[in-house]
Amino acid sequence: MPELDILSLVVQCARETIPELAEHEFRRTDRLAELGVNSLDRAEIVVRVLEALQLRIPLVSLAGAKNIGELADLLHEKRTS
Amino acid sequence: MKSAPPEVVLSGVGITAAIGQGKAAFGAALMRGNHAFRVMQRPGRQRGSAYLGAELPQQTWPEQISKRLLRTATLSGQVALATLHEAWVDAQLDAVDPLRIGLIAGGSNFQQREQVLVHDEYASRIEYLRPSYALSFLDTDVCGLCTEQFAIQGFAHTLGAASASGQLAVLHAIEAVGSGKVDVCIALGALMDLSYWECQGLRTAGAMGSDRYANEPELACRPFDRSRDGFIFGECCGVVVVERRDHAVARRVRPYASAAGWGTAIDRNRNPDPSLQGEIRAIRTALAAADLAPRDIDYINPHGSGSVIGDDLELQAIRSCELSHALINATKSITGHGLSAAGAVEIVATLLQMRESCLHPSRNLEQPMDPDLNWVGAAARAHDISHALTLSIGFGGINSALCLRRWQG
Repeated sequence: MPELDILSLVVQCARETIPELAEHEFRRTDRLAELGVNSLDRAEIVVRVLEALQLRIPLVSLAGAKNIGELADLLHEKRTS
Repeated sequence: MKSAPPEVVLSGVGITAAIGQGKAAFGAALMRGNHAFRVMQRPGRQRGSAYLGAELPQQTWPEQISKRLLRTATLSGQVALATLHEAWVDAQLDAVDPLRIGLIAGGSNFQQREQVLVHDEYASRIEYLRPSYALSFLDTDVCGLCTEQFAIQGFAHTLGAASASGQLAVLHAIEAVGSGKVDVCIALGALMDLSYWECQGLRTAGAMGSDRYANEPELACRPFDRSRDGFIFGECCGVVVVERRDHAVARRVRPYASAAGWGTAIDRNRNPDPSLQGEIRAIRTALAAADLAPRDIDYINPHGSGSVIGDDLELQAIRSCELSHALINATKSITGHGLSAAGAVEIVATLLQMRESCLHPSRNLEQPMDPDLNWVGAAARAHDISHALTLSIGFGGINSALCLRRWQG
């Protein structure tokens, strides 16, 4: 899956997890915390993405991502490594 | 000199049950003796079985409740939020300092069905378990949900006492207000969400009613009737707001009743079987604390679960305490047994009957075990309650009794 598609997947999972974000126009620089998403909901979004990608990695290994673009990059890297 | 304890009143109620959501719908259904018993259909309730019970219909959540909270809350959590909302509005608590409001959620292990559903769903892919499970498997999640939604900052915790949990929550709320710990305390009898595991366990233990009335579910729940053979489950949640009399009056809130006296007793018995002496001790302690004679009690809301032994002992206790003159009905015959919620739901039912000056009927009381008692049978009956006694009994030898005095404004 190309990087862009992973970003789309993150956005899709965010919208499914937080219905209030359904209309939000996501950008790579969006930080979930700044969109009012709490830590538990962020974890829920990430777990959904991991399952969609069938990735089995600890959540903590994604902690370095500062925004959803970096999260998508990191997921892409984990997936191809 | 020690000052007299303040008068504590019950100033707001919230109720959710299978026969009705909210006090208006519930109260009307109670007086008509409606029922919602059938073979239960909620996912996780049956496993090749046909347990009978009363399940909530599709609920309408109040607009004010956060959809984000509702989304990840369990059924017990969602219903707690909606039921507390009704009580909050009823007692006009927006005007109260949040630091002076406490919350006690009665019940323990009350979200079992939701856990079974999660376990079944994620058994083969546990690494993708939804993180909110870390919150929702804890009963205290209900406290977290309710204090995030409502301005409650005094204290919040759960209190487990088996089927007496709901009443014990109210008693502890009364004590928290009486001691001055808070000005307002909300007691919530949490919805017990049984899975097929608990249904099977309760059936095997002889507590839950049999399949005898499988083809006529409306006849299965029959407390105090000679043909009873165990309790029939009912989903429900009750909330009671407790505060000092002067605190309610200052906000121009009209209370439902005053807490006159209460008592508890422990049987030193781990088992489900109740104790006559324990029940008598709880009742007598409550009457003495209320400074009431048995003749002053004119209405009893009993535990009355439909248990073969339990109902028998409860009537013996009522007789032994010289209370056989009092009018008596069985709320569980209409709602089913809410287990953790039952005590709070039955206090709400008592308060609504006090306010309506009418006692609800008892369903399926065709052959009362003790026909000489003053039963409210198949039809509702007009009556101005002066002093009510409401009783709860829980597995593990827990007995409790609460005397309520009609509101005198």
